[in-house]
Amino acid sequence: MGTRLSRRHLLRGLGGIGIGLPLMEIMLDGKAFAQSSPNPPKRYMVFFDGQSLGGDDDPIHNQFVPNTIGRNYDLKTALVPLGALKDDVSVISNLKIPWAGENGGSVPAGGRRDAFHVNTISPLLSGMRDPGGTRCDGPTSDQLVANAIAGSTAFPTLTYRVQADWYLSVSAPYGREAISYKRDTSNRVVVVPPQTSPRQAWNALFSNFTPMGVDPATAARIDRDLRARKSVLDLVRGDTERLVVKLGAADKIRLQRHLDELRDLERRVATIAPPQTSVCMPPADPGADPSVGSPQGNDGTNNTYMQNLGYSNEQQRALLFVDLIHLAMVCDLTRVATLQLTMFQSHLNMFSLTQQATDCHELGHHGIPGSTTAAVSGGIAWHVQHFARMIQKLKDTPEGNGNMLDNSALVFLTEGGHGFDPETNEQNSAHSSENMAVLLAGRAGGLQPGQHVRTNQLHPANVLVTAMKAVGVQTDTLGEVTGDIPQLRMQ
Amino acid sequence: MRSSYLVALAGLAAGCTGIIGGDPSVTLTDAQAAEVNTTGLRRLTRVEMDQSIRDVLGDGTRRSARLLAPEPTDPYDNDYRLQIASGALIESIETLAVELSDAAMMDPVQRAALLPCNPTGPNDAACLRAFVQSLGRKMFRRPLADDEVERFMVFQPFSVEANDFDYGAKLVIRAMVQEPAFLYRVELGNPTTQTGVFKLTSYELAARMSYFLVGSTPPDWLLDEAANGGLDTKDGVTSAARRLIGTPNAHDQIERYHALWLGYHRLPHALDLTTSMQAESDALVNRVVFGTNGDYFDLFTATDSYLDARLAGHYGVTGFTGGTGFAWTQYGATPRKGLLSHGSVLSQGVKFADSSPTQRGLFIRNRLLCGEIGPPPPGVNADAEPVGTTSPCKKSRYQVHASGGCANCHNQVDPIGFGLERFDREGRYRTTDDGLPQCAIDGQGEVFGSPAGNLTFNGPDGLADALIASGAFERCVVTQVFRFREGRREGADDVPGILARTEEFKGKQRNFQELLVDMVSDEAFGFRRDEEVP
Repeated sequence: MGTRLSRRHLLRGLGGIGIGLPLMEIMLDGKAFAQSSPNPPKRYMVFFDGQSLGGDDDPIHNQFVPNTIGRNYDLKTALVPLGALKDDVSVISNLKIPWAGENGGSVPAGGRRDAFHVNTISPLLSGMRDPGGTRCDGPTSDQLVANAIAGSTAFPTLTYRVQADWYLSVSAPYGREAISYKRDTSNRVVVVPPQTSPRQAWNALFSNFTPMGVDPATAARIDRDLRARKSVLDLVRGDTERLVVKLGAADKIRLQRHLDELRDLERRVATIAPPQTSVCMPPADPGADPSVGSPQGNDGTNNTYMQNLGYSNEQQRALLFVDLIHLAMVCDLTRVATLQLTMFQSHLNMFSLTQQATDCHELGHHGIPGSTTAAVSGGIAWHVQHFARMIQKLKDTPEGNGNMLDNSALVFLTEGGHGFDPETNEQNSAHSSENMAVLLAGRAGGLQPGQHVRTNQLHPANVLVTAMKAVGVQTDTLGEVTGDIPQLRMQ
Repeated sequence: MRSSYLVALAGLAAGCTGIIGGDPSVTLTDAQAAEVNTTGLRRLTRVEMDQSIRDVLGDGTRRSARLLAPEPTDPYDNDYRLQIASGALIESIETLAVELSDAAMMDPVQRAALLPCNPTGPNDAACLRAFVQSLGRKMFRRPLADDEVERFMVFQPFSVEANDFDYGAKLVIRAMVQEPAFLYRVELGNPTTQTGVFKLTSYELAARMSYFLVGSTPPDWLLDEAANGGLDTKDGVTSAARRLIGTPNAHDQIERYHALWLGYHRLPHALDLTTSMQAESDALVNRVVFGTNGDYFDLFTATDSYLDARLAGHYGVTGFTGGTGFAWTQYGATPRKGLLSHGSVLSQGVKFADSSPTQRGLFIRNRLLCGEIGPPPPGVNADAEPVGTTSPCKKSRYQVHASGGCANCHNQVDPIGFGLERFDREGRYRTTDDGLPQCAIDGQGEVFGSPAGNLTFNGPDGLADALIASGAFERCVVTQVFRFREGRREGADDVPGILARTEEFKGKQRNFQELLVDMVSDEAFGFRRDEEVP
């Protein structure tokens, strides 16, 4: 290794070449990282499944909630992918988002309108009552956690979505496509549209890593390229600032968002990537994204579903996003991530994923003959499989005296539960926020996973509050919902 | 028809950049100002970005379509009120910029076309400056001010350091692709005597015309027109509009507009069927608008269509003579006529794995009659298929929609959809419900409450006649083009202008090219009104 190579280059770590080089002592100082830090950071993740737990007209509410209360719970169809990881995951059941019909017709605190789709978005994710549009009326838990624990990480949050497209040509998703909302620099609550390209995500996370052990000429070239990149962003940001002030009020808001995001990108590029360790190894370039599939019509035939319309290899996308989030956490590029596996009321073609020839939403509405709850559970299991894979990866990553899962809290949310539909006055409906259940994994902050806790109709946001507190947020509330669930922690 | 504008240019050369905060340079009466539409800052759509990049950088590989997330389409892809400058977008645009700049300088043909000079070496600052000026004019759709040019010269030392002129040139491209002046249609304009109303500069007007008529950046000749005052008069704008409409890009744009309007830019079929259906509809649009260039309603009354063997078989049309290619083929005895008979349009409004009379009726009502049927009220589960109590036949099952509180809305849509029921969700002809031979389809439909009263029809051919007879169709045609042009739905303020334009359209024998020309040569199109904060 050439002596003229600056220490900064070494510290920037190993690049996409993926060759494990001997770990040098000199590289172990500096920033905190996974393997040897005495006070490892806490991590917070939200996974989302745009389904209800049960299907229409099925007397069985779900195949998700165990019969057993407490430890050593039984695994039903939807949770089978957890396998032995159930000791790392708690199931919190009998949750409920209240609705207007119970409250004299006006939407209660932390509640929803009686109509179902899109109206759980706000209470579920932000704890705020549905504001009458397809959006959150407050910042979501991931953003609040990031405000508290992101520190100087390059990415305060990662916001990714697996489902690549809405898959309907006749309409737009209108809020079903995002699960993260933040306050912008003028304190408005704005949606954070997710990144849907694994390739872009890789590029953003790891393009700043420089290979270690390169010759001085290459090191100089890499340094020049980075300075050039910063110079380009500096020019663009400056020109954007000069333009913003010339615009009318409404346009100013639009371009200000652009400017805020540019500044954020500039700040990330300025952040020197953390040193490589035996665990922080940037992955190889994943290559081009799987191509985005055509829409599958509103609800096509079995034949259409088998043609793979409405599908963009979401299986591969989910694997990649889980890998990227994991590595970003390992390298302490971020401490907070959301992964929206499917959209609310998802029209993803399930055939390639679960061999169910229908779309995700229709699983709950007789899209498959027979038990609708069984059909729904097959779909949920696909989502849980990726949640389980993340848990396993964290568990397999040593940190301090244990592993990363010991310092993490991961939540798995679904769009709805199963039961009474106040819109139609029907029982056993997929359009219900009764009998909801949430998964909570990890041991951050003394969380004690591996139990099934049946609540007395607490709000899903009570689980989020518990998870937020576990990773160090000093709060007892999320939006309009107050209180955590003490049983989920060590007593 | 529209009032003419007596525009006082107080000492400002036409086309020069506005002096913001200076004295109003243009006098407008209240009546004139009332005709000016509200416009916000519009970001280029992925298609507009790719086409601009193709026309400026010579890169036709449509990288935006691959790298940027798709826009919501409702039905157009350019609704600026739905655009969000997310972090994901900003980082994706950076990747796009890197790819584009690398590719442009690597391809010798592209490089030679872009560089206005032959660089003598990495130190050739004059050549880099000339490059910034020439590329900047195309990318920003206006000349760059001197201080803007100088800011790009910050990249010159990188050329020296890399000992490679192209290194700095690539950074210029990278930056320009990420500049808001490229990504957005920036319209600062010049202030007028009316608060919040601005007169566009000639360059801004050129960009407006171009993105509307050809979906791309203004060609060089149009920028030259803007520079030399060619767009200062209505005649000048009119002739420029006609010239734009005469270019191949206009054909693509008008085909794409129709595909978005009627929802067939994407179809839920296997690729070969989708491609054939889209080719069929594109060909008819092209023939009516650019070929015969007569009555626009020929689009809905044509008795022949551009078919390949697959579609001819699909439709049950005999007499196809196109061999392995496409050929204009008479529908003959099959009950089809015009665009509404195309598989592309009949593929709309599918639900519960079948054509849905409700969804098809909604589609016709909203897209072709510009109605606004709201979502179902509380108490309705629209995710559940209507279940009949007496008969499995669709017409009987949907009877539940025709009574009580449901009827108000459903009577506006279901009877239209039932008039198309003899055509399945892929546009094939049928006489009974799918899988239910005992359920004969009569194909009888009705458009309730049109300005011409209730109109009965049978099939897409009959529906075309009913729409034309309804008296509401011209207005909807104009309204849809208005929405596409403005990148938003109309507000109450916009309705008088749409009504006036509709009369003009009727008066000009419903000629679509004339409608397009009128929609840009209207003096009010050269102005904008600031949007109020929502």
